[in-house]
Amino acid sequence: MSGADIELKDVRKAYYKDRLEIPVLDGLDLAIRSGEFVVLMGPSGSGKSTLLHLVGGLDSPTGGSVRVGEARLENMNERELTAWRSRHVGFIFQMYHLVPVLTAAQNVELPLLLYRMSSGERRQRVTTALDVVGLSDRMHHRPNQLSGGQEQRVAIARAIVTDPDVILADEPTGDLDARTSEEILNLMNLLNSEFKKTILMVTHDPKAAQHGERIVHLDKGVLHREELTAARAGARA
Amino acid sequence: MPLTLIYLYQNAIRNPMRTSLTCAAVALPIMIFVLSVAVIDGIERFLDNSARQLRLVVSSRVSIVTQLPSAHRTRIESLDPQKTRLRGVCGVRWIGGKVERDPRPLSTLAVDEDAFYVAFPDTGMTPEENEAWARDRQAIALGRGTAKQFGWKVGDRITISPSVPPYTPMEFHVVTTLENGADPITNWCRRDYLEEELKRVRYPADRVSFYFVKCGSKADLDALHVEIADLLNTSADPVSVQDEKAFMNQFITQNFDLPRNLTILAAVTVFVAIMAAANTMSMNFRDRINEFATLKALGFGGGFVSRLMQIESLGVCLLGGLLGAGGPYVAFTHTPLANVTIPVIQYLDIRPAVCGQALLIALGIGLLAALWPAVAAMRMRVVAALRNLE
Repeated sequence: MSGADIELKDVRKAYYKDRLEIPVLDGLDLAIRSGEFVVLMGPSGSGKSTLLHLVGGLDSPTGGSVRVGEARLENMNERELTAWRSRHVGFIFQMYHLVPVLTAAQNVELPLLLYRMSSGERRQRVTTALDVVGLSDRMHHRPNQLSGGQEQRVAIARAIVTDPDVILADEPTGDLDARTSEEILNLMNLLNSEFKKTILMVTHDPKAAQHGERIVHLDKGVLHREELTAARAGARA
Repeated sequence: MPLTLIYLYQNAIRNPMRTSLTCAAVALPIMIFVLSVAVIDGIERFLDNSARQLRLVVSSRVSIVTQLPSAHRTRIESLDPQKTRLRGVCGVRWIGGKVERDPRPLSTLAVDEDAFYVAFPDTGMTPEENEAWARDRQAIALGRGTAKQFGWKVGDRITISPSVPPYTPMEFHVVTTLENGADPITNWCRRDYLEEELKRVRYPADRVSFYFVKCGSKADLDALHVEIADLLNTSADPVSVQDEKAFMNQFITQNFDLPRNLTILAAVTVFVAIMAAANTMSMNFRDRINEFATLKALGFGGGFVSRLMQIESLGVCLLGGLLGAGGPYVAFTHTPLANVTIPVIQYLDIRPAVCGQALLIALGIGLLAALWPAVAAMRMRVVAALRNLE
């Protein structure tokens, strides 16, 4: 399955604390093509993670519309969002969030529990996903037996094992050293170029941002500016 | 093995110390429940047996330790000289007893030698044994449990020191070990022998603790109840008349209502177990908020994470229940503990049905303990959980 396009129109999101409204996104418009690798940047509190959560169906907008492929997320209830998420979105978190008591292979297999498939097919998918991230020799290791980079690769394998349309990554290299970060970002590029996944990645690191095709800068809940990355601009030139 | 089962199992052993302590916190109250029910069952069995015997107990109206004169027996017997309604009147005096250099207490009663066989048919004494008993002033009929415990057999000469006057060691001859008796603990000796000893050491004699009046039928028992009270309450030693079940029940609960207090104890400990298990499950939930948030982000619904908590709680509590119920069951059924006798209760009979009830209680503890964490896990908002952790 290849990626899905994403369209956000006049998206607003506010949180409430002690009856006080705290606006996070304020009429945001954004369109992402199917198979595009977009990087979200901006200062803390600018709404990057909130935007990621809205696109991933983890949260609902206060106003406006969010469309991912054919799905209009603002019209879905929590149960529908949960079901949709399991089939269309892969998440990669900064802190990996692997289940510590399960092996790498079992962690990757977890999302497949939501699918009806034979154990053979499930095993095949897990092996393929771990092959893609270069960890087939670590499949029986537990998270505490892996390095940070390896843990994040397992998390990526878990995100792609269901063959989702969209991969959402929230600072996936935020906890890694430079060399390991580069490996993870190259892997993201591979997922984008080889498997045509639509990727939306949040990062604070300008160097990491250069791995995407387009950088979207948010500030105070609105789209501040957009730019093509050097690689993309060079390709156009 | 399916991944879900692996996940559940790995979660159960994720923190072995916490799991073990929770199991123990559940096992202990379940054990107390099982033992309490066994004790209460034993008391009820004892009382039911007493009720079947159609006996009245005549004791002093002043207090249970005040003795009655031997002459009361003749007066009671005068109510039915033909013995059509009143089969026998047997004076009883408790002497307890101990064997020298053995700390185990004995339960021994001195009874009227000529009325014992008629008044206490539930001892299962045979006519031949009764003849031996009648022939020998120093005869003693041992409860089979006591005989087994001390290794005594028919023909043995044993020495028992009474716990009450005359206190001096008395030699007895074992004439039977009452193999078919309802009560395997109590020993019976002849009161005429005790009277001699009391007189020898100059203690007051010719007094009894109680009279047991064996009646022909329930109607006879009800009628004699009134007649005996009317007859003796004008005497210098007024009496209290009760059927044996009521008397025994009063005797058991006079200072401490054991069944009631055991019920309270079992209920309180089960409540404590619920709190302990609930605390564990709450800690478990707090420790794994990020894991549950991740599962929800991956597409698992609130019901799935809620069921995870419930199944884990049920599993741990069921294990505690199995230990708490299975331990006493095995101990009191398949080990030497099965032969240990306890006054009144006699043997602890741990019934499989009670173990089944105990397991249901353990499951109930598991359900209640996981109630809040399961609801919290189900309602947990992924974004809020991730925001706190990232």
